[in-house]
Amino acid sequence: MQNNRKEHLYKILVIGDLGVGKTSIIKRYVHQTYSTNYRATIGVDFALKVLNWDSETVRLQLWDIAGQERFGNMTRVYYREAMGAFIVFDVTRPTTFEAVSKWKEDLDSKLTLSNGQSIATVLLANKCDQKRDFLTNNSLKMDQYCKENGFVGWFETSARENININEAANFLVKHIIASENDILKSVVPDTISPQLNSDKEMTCSYWLSLD
Amino acid sequence: MGYPPSGVQKSSVISEHCGHSVVSPVKLMVESSSSGGRGAEEGIPPPRIADVIDRQESIMQGMFSHTGTSQGEKGQLQSIQDHEVPESCDKTNTQPCGTKLPNGHGGHSAHKLTEWDNPNSSLPAGSYLNSEGDHVIANGELSAGSRGGALDAISSVLPPQDAAVDRTTSSEDCLNAQNAVFNDTRSCSEGDPSLDRNSSASPSTPKHSLRTFSSSTFLNTDSARLSPDDDETFSTSDRPDDSIFTDVSLKPRNTYEISRRQSAPDNIPGVLSVAVADLTLSQRKHGISEIFNRSLFSRKQREAQSAAGWKLFGKVPLRESPPKDSKTIQQEYEARASKSDQSPSLPAQGRRKNLEFEPLSTTALILEDRPASLPAKSEEEAQRHRQEYDEMVAEAKKRELKEAQKKKKQMKERFKQEESIANAMVVWNNEILPNWESMRGTRRVRDLWWQGLPPNVRGKVWSLAIGNELNITSDLYEIFLSRAKERWKSFRETGSEMESDADSADRESSLDLIKLDISRTFPPLFIFQKGGPYHDLLHSLLGAYTCYRPDVGYVQGMSFIAAVLILNLEEADAFIAFANLLNKPCQMAFFRVDHELMLKYFAAFEVFFEENLPRLFNHFKSYNLTPDLYLIDWIFTLYTKSLPLDVACRVWDVFCRDGEEFLFRTGLGILGLYEDVLLQMDFIHIAQFLTRLPEDTPSERLLSCIANTQMISSNRKWAQVFNALIKDKEMEKSSSPTVKNS
Repeated sequence: MQNNRKEHLYKILVIGDLGVGKTSIIKRYVHQTYSTNYRATIGVDFALKVLNWDSETVRLQLWDIAGQERFGNMTRVYYREAMGAFIVFDVTRPTTFEAVSKWKEDLDSKLTLSNGQSIATVLLANKCDQKRDFLTNNSLKMDQYCKENGFVGWFETSARENININEAANFLVKHIIASENDILKSVVPDTISPQLNSDKEMTCSYWLSLD
Repeated sequence: MGYPPSGVQKSSVISEHCGHSVVSPVKLMVESSSSGGRGAEEGIPPPRIADVIDRQESIMQGMFSHTGTSQGEKGQLQSIQDHEVPESCDKTNTQPCGTKLPNGHGGHSAHKLTEWDNPNSSLPAGSYLNSEGDHVIANGELSAGSRGGALDAISSVLPPQDAAVDRTTSSEDCLNAQNAVFNDTRSCSEGDPSLDRNSSASPSTPKHSLRTFSSSTFLNTDSARLSPDDDETFSTSDRPDDSIFTDVSLKPRNTYEISRRQSAPDNIPGVLSVAVADLTLSQRKHGISEIFNRSLFSRKQREAQSAAGWKLFGKVPLRESPPKDSKTIQQEYEARASKSDQSPSLPAQGRRKNLEFEPLSTTALILEDRPASLPAKSEEEAQRHRQEYDEMVAEAKKRELKEAQKKKKQMKERFKQEESIANAMVVWNNEILPNWESMRGTRRVRDLWWQGLPPNVRGKVWSLAIGNELNITSDLYEIFLSRAKERWKSFRETGSEMESDADSADRESSLDLIKLDISRTFPPLFIFQKGGPYHDLLHSLLGAYTCYRPDVGYVQGMSFIAAVLILNLEEADAFIAFANLLNKPCQMAFFRVDHELMLKYFAAFEVFFEENLPRLFNHFKSYNLTPDLYLIDWIFTLYTKSLPLDVACRVWDVFCRDGEEFLFRTGLGILGLYEDVLLQMDFIHIAQFLTRLPEDTPSERLLSCIANTQMISSNRKWAQVFNALIKDKEMEKSSSPTVKNS
C-alpha cells in the first residue's frame, strides 16, 4: 500500500419505485453483469464498489433500498450519513417518474449535509433500451426538471445494455467530492467528522490518510 | 425406498439420489451402474479401478464444465422464456438422444464433455423424470427457488455436500428454468399410461411430488451438477434395458401433481405430455446400437445449440471457450489417451471411450502443438511438455480418485438418511397424522418434527400446525379470488391508456405491483415467472389476499411466502395457510410495517444475541450494524430469500411447531453458524453476507446451531423479554415519532 494513498468511503443511496431496476443497476455497476432474474429487494441490500480515483481510492458503499412505499418508515433510517444518491425511475412506466419528486423531497427532508446543502443526487432514467426515443423527446424537459428539483444531473441508463451506468456513477462521485471539498473549506475538518460519522466503517465524509 | 430422497443439496448428491429412487437398493445400483452396466454392454469386464476412475472423471467434469455451462444455461433460460415451455420441450423431443437436454449446457460444455453426457441423454425420458426429480431437489443448485420446486422432495434432512461444484447464479437460473419446464412436462406426462408402468418402482410413496421431478430432468442437463454422479446413476439405466428405467417412477408423484396442475392456469398439458411420451418412446427405440452413434449426434447437436445460445444472448462464455472445436479436442485427447494411458486406467479408458464419456480434468489439459505459423517445438521441448502433461494428468487423476472416495462415503451416509426419512414418512402418515391433535405435542412427535418433515407430508403438517383460526374455506377463497379478478380486469381497462394507474389511491395494493414482484420471486426456479406453471397461481393467491385483507394489502416479501406454500399445498389450502400465517402477531407487525413493534422485536432479538454470541454482538455494535439490516429481509420472507430453499423449509418446519420465537432463534443460529467468518468481516461485507447467505448453508449444522441457541435470558423466555419491552414502550412513550412519508 502506498504511504499517502488517500481513501474515501462514501455511502450512496439507490432509491426509487419498485421494479425500476435499482438492483440491476447496482449489479451492472459492481459486477458487470445483468440478469432478468434478480429477486425483489426486501429492506435493503448492499454492494461495494472500489474505484481508483486519480491517485486515491474511493470506496462506494451502495445501499439498495426496497422500493415499496410501505417500507418507507423503516428504510428512511438508512438515509443517515449518505453522501450521494441515485434516484431511479423506469422510462417505460410514467408513474415511476411521478414518484421521483416524492423520493427527492423525502430524501431532502431526512438528510442534509453539515453545511445545510442536500446531498448530491443524480436522476437515472433507466431501461432506456426499451424506449429509445426518451432522450430525444425529453432532454430539455429533463434538464429543466433537474434544475428545479435539485438534481445535480440526470442520465438515461440501461442496466441491460450497460448504458451510462459508469458515467453516472463517476459523475456522482465527482459531485460528492466537490461538495465534500466545499464542506472542508468552510468547516474545520475535526468538527465534521463526528457529525457525519462516528464509527469505524463509515468514515465517509472526511479524508482518511493511511500512513 | 421408492420414496424420493429429500433434501439433498448438492449436485454430487444428486446422482446418488437418482440411483436411489430409481432402483431401490441404492448400493446395488451404484455398483451396477458404474461398472457392470457399461462393461457388460461393451463386452468389457468391469474393472474396479476403472469404475472409480470413471466416477472421478465425471466429478471433475462437473467442476470444469460448470462455468461453460452457466453461460449456456443462460441461453437456455432465455430460450425457454422466449419460446415458451412447449417449444423447448419439443426441441428436446426431436433430438435424437444426447440432446434431450435442450439446454445450452450442451453447447459450451460440449467442448469438454463431448461425449460424456450421452449416457444420460440416452436415458429414456421417463427415467429421467422420475429418478431425477429428487435430484433436483437434492441439488444444492436448485438454489432457494429451485429447491422450492422440489420442495416436496426436499427433505432437508440431508446434510450439505462437497462444494466441488460452485454455483453461479446463472447456472441456477438455468436449472430452474429447466425445472419449470419440467414441471409442466411432468404433469402432463402423468396422463400417459405408457409412462406409468413403473408403479412397482416406488410402492411406498404414494403421491410423491411431481414437483420434485420437474427440476430433475433438466438438472440433468446441467453438467455441473449432475455430472459427478451421473455417471453412476444414469449409466445403469442406460444399460441393458432402457424401458425399465423409463417406467420407473413417473407415477407416484403424478397423482398429486395432476390436481395441482389443473388448478394452475398456465400449464399446457396436451402438448407437453405428448412431447414427453414421444421422448420416452424414441429414447427407448434407440437400443444399444444407439450408443455407438451417440457421440456423433450429440456432438453436432451441442455445437448447434451453443451457437444458438450465443446468438440469443450475444454473450461470450466466461471461460471454456477454447478456440478449437470440440471434435478436435476430442480427437486429440483420444489420440493422446491411447498413447499415454497406463495399466490401471487403461480399461477405464477403453470403456470410457465406448461410453462416450470423458474425464474433464484431462480434457481440459490438452497438450497442443504450436500453431503451424510458429516454428515447431524442439524434440526435447516436446518431450518435456509431454512429460509435464502426463504428470498433470496423473495428478488430476489422483485428485479425482480421492474425490470419488469421498463421494462414495457421502453417498452412503445420504442413503442412510434417505432411509430414515422414508421411515419417518411412514410414521407421519400412519401414526401421527391420523391422531394429530393427541400426538402433536408429544415428545416423540416433536423430536421427529425437528428432524425435518418428509416432503410429502410437509404441506399437510404445515397446514395443521398453522391452523385456520380465521375459518377460511375454499369457497371463501373463490369469492375473494373472483373479486380480485374483477378488480384486475377493471384495472386493466382503466389503466390501459396509461399502462398503470397513477392516481389510484391504493397504489400500494395495486395488482400491478404484485405482477412486478411475482416475476421476481424465486426467479431461478422459473416456475413463478411469466409463462411458468405457477405464475397465475401465485398471482391469484396474492390478489385474493389483497381483497381479503385490504387493510394489509400486498407487501413485498409476501410473494416469497405464498410461493413456498404453493409449492407444498393445493391452491385453496395454500391460501388458507397463507392468510392464517400472516395473521400471526409477528407477521402482522411486519407486514403492516408497524415500525414501533418491529423495533421491539429487534430489541428482543438483540437481548438474546448478546446473551448467546457476545463477541459477535460487540463486533456488530462496533460497526453500528443493527439487526434490522438483516432481520427485515429474514422475517419478511421467513428466510426463503436468504437461505437456500431446502434449508428454509427446515426452518419453516420448526417455525410451524414453535412459532415466532423460532424465527429469531433461527437468526441467532445463522449468526452462530457463521460467527467466525463474520468476525473477520467489516460492515459492508457482513451486510452483504447476511442478506445472501451461502448457497451451501448446511441444514444440519444450522439446525444444530439453532438447537444450541439458548432462548433464555436472565431466566426469561423470549415471550417474557418481548412483552417486557412492549410494556416499557407503553410506559415511556405516548406519541409515536413515526416518520410519515408521502
